[in-house]
Amino acid sequence: MTAAGASWSPPIPAGRRVGRFDLLVRLVRRPEGAFGVLILAIFAALALAPDFFVGPLQTAVTAHGTRLSPPSAAFPLGTDELRRDMLNLTVHGARVSMAIGLLATLVTVFIGAVVGIVSGFVGGRVDAVLMRITDFFLVIPTFVLALILTPIIRDLVGSGSTEILGIRMTLIVIVIVIGITSWSSSARIIRSQTLSLKERAFVDRARVIGAGSGHIMRRHILPNVINLIVANSVLVFAGAVLTETTLSFVGLGDPFQPSWGQLLEAARSVGAPGLGAWWYFVPPGVCIVLVVFAFTLVGGALDDLLNPKRRGRA
Amino acid sequence: MTAAVPRPDRPPRALPRLAVAGAPLLEVDDLKTHFRLAGEVVRAVDGVSFRLDAGEALGIAGESGCGKTTTALSLVRLLPANASIVGGSIRLHGIDLATKSDTAIRRYRWREISIVFQGAMNALNPVARVRDQIAEPIVERLGVDARTARRRAGELLELVGIPRARGSAYPHELSGGMRQRAMIAMALACDPAIVIGDEPTTALDVMVQAQILDLLERLRERLGLSLILITHDLSVIAETCDRVLIMYAGRVAEEGPVAQVFTRPRHPYTQKLLAAFPNIQADRRTLDVIPGTPPDLRTPPPGCRFAPRCPLAMAVCSEVVPPEVTFADRVRVACHLYSEGSSGEPVLVPAAATVGRA
Amino acid sequence: MSGSYLARRFGSALFTIALIVLVNFVLFRALPGSPERVILRGTPNVTPAQLEAARERWGLNDPVFPDQFVAFLGATVSGDLGYSFVARGQTVGQVLAQRIWPTVILFGLGELVAIVLGLALGAYSGWRRGGPVDVVGNGISLILYSTPYFLLGMALLLVFATGLRWFPTFGMLTAGATYPDIWARLGDFVSHLALPLATVGLGLVGQYAIVMRSSIVETLSEDYVTTARGMGLSEGRILRHHALPNALLPTVSLIAINLGYVVAGAITVEVVFNWPGLGTLAVEALTARDYPVLQGVFLLLSVSVVLANLLADLVYGVLDPRVRT
Repeated sequence: MTAAGASWSPPIPAGRRVGRFDLLVRLVRRPEGAFGVLILAIFAALALAPDFFVGPLQTAVTAHGTRLSPPSAAFPLGTDELRRDMLNLTVHGARVSMAIGLLATLVTVFIGAVVGIVSGFVGGRVDAVLMRITDFFLVIPTFVLALILTPIIRDLVGSGSTEILGIRMTLIVIVIVIGITSWSSSARIIRSQTLSLKERAFVDRARVIGAGSGHIMRRHILPNVINLIVANSVLVFAGAVLTETTLSFVGLGDPFQPSWGQLLEAARSVGAPGLGAWWYFVPPGVCIVLVVFAFTLVGGALDDLLNPKRRGRA
Repeated sequence: MTAAVPRPDRPPRALPRLAVAGAPLLEVDDLKTHFRLAGEVVRAVDGVSFRLDAGEALGIAGESGCGKTTTALSLVRLLPANASIVGGSIRLHGIDLATKSDTAIRRYRWREISIVFQGAMNALNPVARVRDQIAEPIVERLGVDARTARRRAGELLELVGIPRARGSAYPHELSGGMRQRAMIAMALACDPAIVIGDEPTTALDVMVQAQILDLLERLRERLGLSLILITHDLSVIAETCDRVLIMYAGRVAEEGPVAQVFTRPRHPYTQKLLAAFPNIQADRRTLDVIPGTPPDLRTPPPGCRFAPRCPLAMAVCSEVVPPEVTFADRVRVACHLYSEGSSGEPVLVPAAATVGRA
Repeated sequence: MSGSYLARRFGSALFTIALIVLVNFVLFRALPGSPERVILRGTPNVTPAQLEAARERWGLNDPVFPDQFVAFLGATVSGDLGYSFVARGQTVGQVLAQRIWPTVILFGLGELVAIVLGLALGAYSGWRRGGPVDVVGNGISLILYSTPYFLLGMALLLVFATGLRWFPTFGMLTAGATYPDIWARLGDFVSHLALPLATVGLGLVGQYAIVMRSSIVETLSEDYVTTARGMGLSEGRILRHHALPNALLPTVSLIAINLGYVVAGAITVEVVFNWPGLGTLAVEALTARDYPVLQGVFLLLSVSVVLANLLADLVYGVLDPRVRT
């Protein structure tokens, strides 16, 4: 804890962007950062315009391969049991998986940031209660909770075919469930940062001139935790992709909008590993590993960059 | 086996096997220790020489970053992985420690020379009892059985003023002053010839500081210890040490008996250091600070390293490394203001009469 | 260990368990179909009197809070978790009991193996930082960390069961097999256990190795390790007596925190290998919308994780004297 006024550095004014680009440049200078960003760029391209790369998503109707055939010239990644092209499915899966990951990250980080900043800044009983709830969500196996919540919420919401941002409602429910169950570690991290910022002189300064709590939280605390939130979001994204994959794998995915996890579930229920049909589950699997690995690398590198104390250690 | 508890008729300590007869206790000659940092070389210690005789207390003083801690770590060969001794010698009883391998050096550690670190919490193992930590080197290095070692540890605790019963405590249960005492007890465990104290009182409040210094002084008398005290606090040196070594930017500025150096400082840096010390009894005046900052040791200035900040600098100072001259009162200085006079007594260089920034 | 430390830890665990039951209660009230379905579904020919008695026991005639919650709490604690929607006439408790041991064996052994191997590997990697074991081990650990357990399982299945035919492809025992003696049965069990166990183990080893490694690296730069070196102690002694005891502390904490996440992985591994444990039960219940069983699994797994965390806290208290006061 710094003594009041012991180390003062000017707070970042709201909206200043230079800090973030500088971070990106420093990130790419590191080999793991560059590798991670490259992988993510590739998958982002695939996710944003899958039709451009492989045409529209194949359905059982438009499929024209033979059932479960290994890779060949016509089908570089083989076919599934509905005779669809695995390459087509995998690339479209990128869009679904990444979109859900992104949306879930937004929800998770939003909840985590609100809880973290309010809890850290307001302190006292509010902090105690919020932290109790946060710790609860940290301890319990949230996956099982998600397992229960998803069908309940789906039944509540109904099963129309409305879409948000091109994602079907069934999967939006997964976004919400992931958000509800994953916010706690973000909340803890952001609360820590808020606590240390609270001690800084510029906050006292704002208070002295009569600024209200909400104002201080928005205009002074938030801009200074943004960098931390960004770094944290990257790791949250990795976690969200993994969680969505796992939830889809146990049957909560949408066969009409298959994510990588859904493809893996289909592979398993057809018995692909037992049949030796490696092309059914290896491509989506490799994609998952690459994306999560890349996010973890980038997240770790960002963490190092923002945490000078840990530099030069491991 | 030598006893840690003093006796009036205490026999002299046994010398290490390879000791050279008649050699001084410790003789450091032109020691150079460099760091590798992000592809560049930091010349943290760049030609330091001094000597320590049995029973003496030497203080090494200087501002942060001058290389005093690096010097201390070089003596016990506890440098971090990116640092290494690149030149010079460290002769303990004539045995050069600088060239020994990592396994060979272990022999001399703690039994000949030990070190007390700044008393932060982490200098003691947080999960081990204090008594066991003191007993550990006794068991491992002296081959004593565990029970005797624990008893000896208790004696050492008493010696430094900690009630024996407190030995079963964990480090976090002791106050800062007691932890420092415990570390001193630990440093004495194998009855070394030299104890190095690296800022041993810096983290303590003034009252406790006085007690620790008093303890060190008493131990020195009773056990015939030789001390090397590293500190930036000149008053500590004035109180406890026989001789003082003033370091600046990895080199020796001035060295000699405490009384001489403090009453007749010769090096401009020493003069500034002493002048910067507030005197509670003198008239009030603005604190005399030294303008500028110490040089970057990756690219130190040629010639005298203090020249850029020295009020008495001459043209030659920024070109030629000042040679060391020794005065009759056994004070050594490395400064172009002084040169060997014909009578052997260094004289002030005539050019110094026209004082001004070069 | 001081009584107050124990009391605080127990109290905290108890409070968390109460919260878990509360969540369960909220779900119980919120799920589709009236609560009566939960408590009486399996029983045929229910008379109005029986229905009313059940409603009384579960407090459904009373106001929701606190009375219903207390009744629910009472029922939960006494083991009455309602009836499965799917399994004919079986209580949730019975269903859970049938499936709990395979999970305990798979998961328990997997954790044990992973802790021993992971900590050893991590400690060695951290000790010999930058060495071949470290670099290779770190790379593999990172990749394993990014791989969902079930994917690992599917890959292992493909290579070792389908490809090399060393192991069977699913289940806990060969269906319909008869065994001449206990050893044959045990042997069949072990051959079925091998791949899922390897999957769980591999998934965990990576995490534990990474954590232990960074913990050791951190510890090795502490002042007391430098002092120990200064004493001339052997590297082995320093590692065993100074570095390891301190490096274990954050590792134990992190292992405990991780438990909640590991459950997800364990469930999916069971699914891949058709291992008849709580994981496959959860997915079956999910597919069939058998909410009482799902809630029962949630309760059981959550309470287990809380208890495991409590155990880890106690172990931590033994290892670190600073928290005992």
